[in-house]
Amino acid sequence: MLQCIFLLSDSGEVMLEKQLTGHRVDRSICDWFWDHVISQGDSLKSQPVIASPTHYLFQVVREGITFLACTQVEMPPLMGIEFLCRVSDVLSDYLGGLNEDVIKDNFVIVYELLDEMIDNGFPLTTEPNILREMIAPPNIVSKVLSVVTGNSSNVSDTLPGATGSCIPWRAADPKYANNEVYVDLVEEMDAVINRDGVLVKCEVYGEVRVNSHLSGLPDLTLSFANPSILDDVRFHPCVRFRPWESHQILSFVPPDGEFKLMSYRVKKLKSTPIYVKPQLSSDAGKCRVNVLVGIRNDHGKTIDSITLQFQLPPCILSADLTSNTGTVNILGNKTCSWSIGRIPKDKTPSLSGTLVLESELERLHVFPTFRVGFKIMGVALSGLQIDKLDLKTAPSRLYKGFRALTRAGEFEVRS
Amino acid sequence: MFPQFGATADTLSKASTMVFRIGTDAHLYDDPDDVSIAPLLDSKFDSEKCEALKRLLALIAQGIDVSNYFPQVVKNVASQSLEVKKLVYLYLLHYAEKRPNEALLSINYFQKDLGDPNPLVRAWALRTMAGIRLHVIAPLVLVAVGKCARDPSVYVRKCAANALPKLHDLRQEEHALAIEEIVGKLLNDHSPAVVGAAAAAFASVCPYNLSLIRRNYRKLCEILPDVEEWGQIALIGILLRYVIASHGLVKESIMFSLQCTESSHSVKDGSDADFGQVKESTDMGGTCDYEFVNMVSRCYIEGPDEYLSRSSYANRESFQLTDEQFTSGKSNDDVKILLYSTSPLLWSNNSAVVLAAAGVHWVMAPKEDVKRIIKPLLFLLRSSNASKYVVLCNIQVFAKAMPSLFAPYYEDFFICSSESYQVKALKLEILSSIATDSSISSIFKEFQDYIRDPDRRFAADTIAAIGLCAQRLPKMAHICVDGLLALTREEFVTKDFGFGDQEAGILTHAILSIKSIIKQDPPSHEKVIIQLVRSLDSIKVPAARAMIIWMVGEYSTLGEIIPRMLNTVLKYLAWCFTSEALETKLQILNTVCKVLVGATEDVWTFKKIFSYLVELAECDLNYDVRDRVRFLKKLQSSNLVSIGQEEGTNDLPEKDLLHVVAECILGRQTRKVKAESFSYRFYLPGSLSQIVLHAAPGYEPLPKPCSLLLDDRNVPEGTSEIKKTVADYSGTDDYGTSSEGSDDESASDYDSQHSVAESSGSGRGDDSEFTSEGNDNADPLIQISDFGNASENQNGVSQSGPANLGELMSDRALESWLDEQSGSSNPGISEQSQVRISSARISLGDVGKRVKPKCYSLLDPATSGNGLKVDYSFSSEISSMSHLLVCIEVFFKNCSSETISEITLVDEDSNRALDAADKAADVNQSSLASSDNVPTLVPMESIASLEPDQTARRILHVRFHHHLLPLKLALYCDGKKLPVKLRPDIGYFVKPLPMDVEVFIDRESRLPGMFEYTRSCAFTDHIEELNKENGDSLFVKDKFLAICESLALKILSNANLCLVSIDMPVAANLDDASGLRLRFSSEILSSSIPCLITITVEGKCSDPLNLSIKVNCEETVFGLNLLNRIANFLVEPTLG
Repeated sequence: MLQCIFLLSDSGEVMLEKQLTGHRVDRSICDWFWDHVISQGDSLKSQPVIASPTHYLFQVVREGITFLACTQVEMPPLMGIEFLCRVSDVLSDYLGGLNEDVIKDNFVIVYELLDEMIDNGFPLTTEPNILREMIAPPNIVSKVLSVVTGNSSNVSDTLPGATGSCIPWRAADPKYANNEVYVDLVEEMDAVINRDGVLVKCEVYGEVRVNSHLSGLPDLTLSFANPSILDDVRFHPCVRFRPWESHQILSFVPPDGEFKLMSYRVKKLKSTPIYVKPQLSSDAGKCRVNVLVGIRNDHGKTIDSITLQFQLPPCILSADLTSNTGTVNILGNKTCSWSIGRIPKDKTPSLSGTLVLESELERLHVFPTFRVGFKIMGVALSGLQIDKLDLKTAPSRLYKGFRALTRAGEFEVRS
Repeated sequence: MFPQFGATADTLSKASTMVFRIGTDAHLYDDPDDVSIAPLLDSKFDSEKCEALKRLLALIAQGIDVSNYFPQVVKNVASQSLEVKKLVYLYLLHYAEKRPNEALLSINYFQKDLGDPNPLVRAWALRTMAGIRLHVIAPLVLVAVGKCARDPSVYVRKCAANALPKLHDLRQEEHALAIEEIVGKLLNDHSPAVVGAAAAAFASVCPYNLSLIRRNYRKLCEILPDVEEWGQIALIGILLRYVIASHGLVKESIMFSLQCTESSHSVKDGSDADFGQVKESTDMGGTCDYEFVNMVSRCYIEGPDEYLSRSSYANRESFQLTDEQFTSGKSNDDVKILLYSTSPLLWSNNSAVVLAAAGVHWVMAPKEDVKRIIKPLLFLLRSSNASKYVVLCNIQVFAKAMPSLFAPYYEDFFICSSESYQVKALKLEILSSIATDSSISSIFKEFQDYIRDPDRRFAADTIAAIGLCAQRLPKMAHICVDGLLALTREEFVTKDFGFGDQEAGILTHAILSIKSIIKQDPPSHEKVIIQLVRSLDSIKVPAARAMIIWMVGEYSTLGEIIPRMLNTVLKYLAWCFTSEALETKLQILNTVCKVLVGATEDVWTFKKIFSYLVELAECDLNYDVRDRVRFLKKLQSSNLVSIGQEEGTNDLPEKDLLHVVAECILGRQTRKVKAESFSYRFYLPGSLSQIVLHAAPGYEPLPKPCSLLLDDRNVPEGTSEIKKTVADYSGTDDYGTSSEGSDDESASDYDSQHSVAESSGSGRGDDSEFTSEGNDNADPLIQISDFGNASENQNGVSQSGPANLGELMSDRALESWLDEQSGSSNPGISEQSQVRISSARISLGDVGKRVKPKCYSLLDPATSGNGLKVDYSFSSEISSMSHLLVCIEVFFKNCSSETISEITLVDEDSNRALDAADKAADVNQSSLASSDNVPTLVPMESIASLEPDQTARRILHVRFHHHLLPLKLALYCDGKKLPVKLRPDIGYFVKPLPMDVEVFIDRESRLPGMFEYTRSCAFTDHIEELNKENGDSLFVKDKFLAICESLALKILSNANLCLVSIDMPVAANLDDASGLRLRFSSEILSSSIPCLITITVEGKCSDPLNLSIKVNCEETVFGLNLLNRIANFLVEPTLG
């Protein structure tokens, strides 16, 4: 079981410590950890389970904040990691993002949340909806109010009814004037295009996000027009397994508010919405770069916020890159990012320029990988379609809304 | 209206500078101590208290010790404001252990809060109170937890379950039972949320008490999908352990390959055929690597440390799973329901739940159903970077064990540039182990891209992976080698610029991969070797050059072309020798020598090259090179000479020998080594240990299959083990009778004994007490059966089942015991009463003087070599140094004609004993050994010299670690070391305890039932005695006396006892010795526990007598052993 949780800033400062059991963990473990991070570079930073001389450490890094949990005994490591992920999700949800300042500013809430989320090293309440009822998230009204009156209790004085019910994710009996359910398909496309321009792997990782504001105890069913394309699924605890097993129907009592109903994966897709064609030719200590980006097949929807990022190989001394659309930035760590935005109608965006190689090097022998970002509103690239959404115990009026969105996930083009 | 306005105005001005931080606690975190905190804490306003507490919390967050505010903070526990309460609780939990006395002040408030109508307040109070961790309040907390476990609020019950591990953590034995009872109650709760928390509590409080699970196994399985996710993780693990412990492993699962690997090939083939459907293509050898799977599953059950350490012993097969330890997954409902209820969890949103469920299927599911876990596992790779690594670590083992499972999904292991190096390396390893003939081409295409990756370490790993693939799929070897060769040509272009270590690494890896591929089938790769040799000039990296040169030497006789090239190559090598790096130089020398040994033509040239190199190398700056050349020159000298003598004249055997040596060292082709050496350690899927690759504290392998017996309530571990131990003890009887017996026998005894101790130790985990003896004490079964004998054979003292017995025995056992007693004791009593009327007490005055302790030989003059004879006998003296020591008289005699000097006996075993203890991973035993610091052998006064025929006597104080195993000692004489074995005699582990007959009978009556053991045996010694004196006119009475004497003498000369009384039948038939009873008393040396022995005689005087021996002793195991020992020496005829 977890013994202690530390929150570290990106400079290695311990912002917060929460001891969970009687076996106290000295914060010197963080010094050890940070020394090793510095001495071993990023390899330790990306290692989720570390055996230190005295403790086993689980680390999750989110937005520069390191969540570090310690234990001395055998426990499922994924449990520790998953819990830290939940903590970071809940915190970023409460605080509207994660960074050093926002955690320091709200350290009391962080403490209170951690105290409710874990007891004696074992997760207690991790359901965000219940946590919200127990500890009020900071909002601007309560902030101002607290400054004026000095009275700032954000701790609820009653136990959320849901903790006792058999559907712990749902608050007891919410009442709404308008009954609304919004279903969003949010997809991320992962693709790998190899050096020959062949699409090696193309798949979509998608989530069904539901935002429900329904009175009483609603029982929803959601079905897809083409569930057979789903390769694998994972569900929110509220989804009943058996109807899915037999008929591929999602039957559930939704939590109140926003939640992730399911996540799915669709594999072996045949095409990507945009193409990226990098060309690198090196000769006599110079390397000419030319990258073309274009729309492959029109979904009828505009592709937004197209970006292209790549890491210049370490053997490159300087780079001179220009583009006909968008802006090109070369950051300190040799990361080059080209933000295109929307592709104009009249021309094909291209990036060109020359890279200067290290003096004794004639030709480039390692090639960068281009990471592509884009966003398409209104389309689920996997082709998944929602068939219908039904409410079993129908209230008077129900407003249903559906949306779709596709983003680039791990979209990589090798050169 | 706003009483604290002054303070807030101040904060407002501060806060207004940072508009975005308005209303947050930023200022509190930034400078928590800019206001004096103490007055705020005493304020009557909740908001000021809050601020003070928040400041304290900020200081805690920053790692500053603010425990000095403890008394003031504790007062505020009484506050009605929940926020204040919460903050106080946070503070309190942080410091309670540091300030126990002040923390006690808060207890009353918690007690009060526990009665609060608000469940949140009750829950918080319970959580905090249990978290304070003070031994003093543990009883109070226990009561509170018990009360809250019945609370109407689910949340409070859940918190009660969570509080149990906190209580357990205080390690208070007296509460253990009560805690387990509450766990059982909560496991039976109807709310899934509570069950989940109770499962977690179970896992940390009493993981071995699987009988708690038995009661509601079905219900737990059914409720499993509804339990909240964290509880599911714990519950899945518990259910898996329960099923294995009660039903054993599943025949259709991969664990069954444990059975089928050695024995039946038909099963293997059958499962292969089954499995063929799952696979896309079954071109490769087996669907799963049986040896690997076998090892994995053994590791799961035994734990790798156990497994590896035992495999180094000879008795590798001591761990055998029998057919009964397997159950059929198709017919066993408990197995089916577990698989049925865990399979939807593979869709869980929580990756830890998915992995736990996958683990259950991996271990329990029939082979054809295991594929169900693949997609969920692969989907986990998309969840988060941190969990990706952990999941891959587990997939790696699965994929190695059954490559066919993952083979169709190779694309999922293609690598993204954004992944961390560890993830990339794992994916490469998995790819190379699941590659099939159909997928290899696309995998190679990917690999080619990876080689161009800017991360050169990763590129080098890719090249190593190519080598692995080629070794697994020999068909691809040619393509791989071609690719790698092209790479070496490319890389050395960049090499000309002397570029970086990393590129050198890639080249080295490439050559290494080629080398390992060639090794598999040298003849078909002849051209590759030639190409490599040709490129020698352009390859500059020393390590790579050295490897190519090694290949020249290794394959110098291969094919047709290579031998012809040698001349040129060696000349080239000799020419560039001086400019080479160290490792290359050494390799050149080796190679030339090897060539020389194998050469058939051009020998003169090679010899010249060699002597040239020798000259160069002998003046080399590096001593390694100089040493090497000297060594090689010596080796080669014979070779060179023989060549110089124009063949055939090497009649000198010495030179011939050298030649052979040279041949052996240099000439042989290296033998093929198995590509993958199985040095891995495996832990249960999803465990922390599997990630860090050592057993984390608290790691438990799966329980022994079928170790949970159906009617076993007290002892969670199987009695099969205990039975085994008993079998061992009786096995040692044999050793006892043949005390001069062979070494082999006792050695085998030792081994089996050891393995039993080990296995029982492993099953029980490290915090339970080690000794298997201790366990026997608690186990009722043996004693019951023994007592059954006791009440039948022995007219025992009247017993009225004392109350404390009920606690020690399970109800049923107690019942059966009572039944048996009532059935058989009636005739016993009547018989006894008949006997008692007519018995008389006699005493043997001079028996003590006639006691001759038995002498054993420690060192035989024939074996010692120098004529030293050493005998020993157990002395009745009591060691004055420690009660753990036994006195032994040792007699040294010089049987030779020369003086022997410097004789001494020392304990050789001390180091090795420690090792063995380490191996058994038995922490407790070693700590035990260190706690009472008694040496194994008190150093003996050494004998300076011993003249021929002179004898010397010494008293040794020895500590036997075990009363059955011989103690290894080393005898030094004349500077030589001779190992000797000292056999313990349990008869001397006791000392006489003089007492009256009344006291004896009284004590005996207090040691009934469990503490009483009986055995019967025959006794014949007296017949000889009687026959001897047959000539004289002998009274009947004396016949009895003779029997008594011989019996008493026999016992007293074999055990250190005190004769208490002899009861003799008076009115009985003159020839009938029945009813004769001898009583002996003693106490155990080490523990001073009394040990009472009663011997009753039955039968006619002139015939072999039937003795029944009864031992009453609290120390069960010791008593049993002593009983066996006595029975053995009584049977054994006296010699001389």
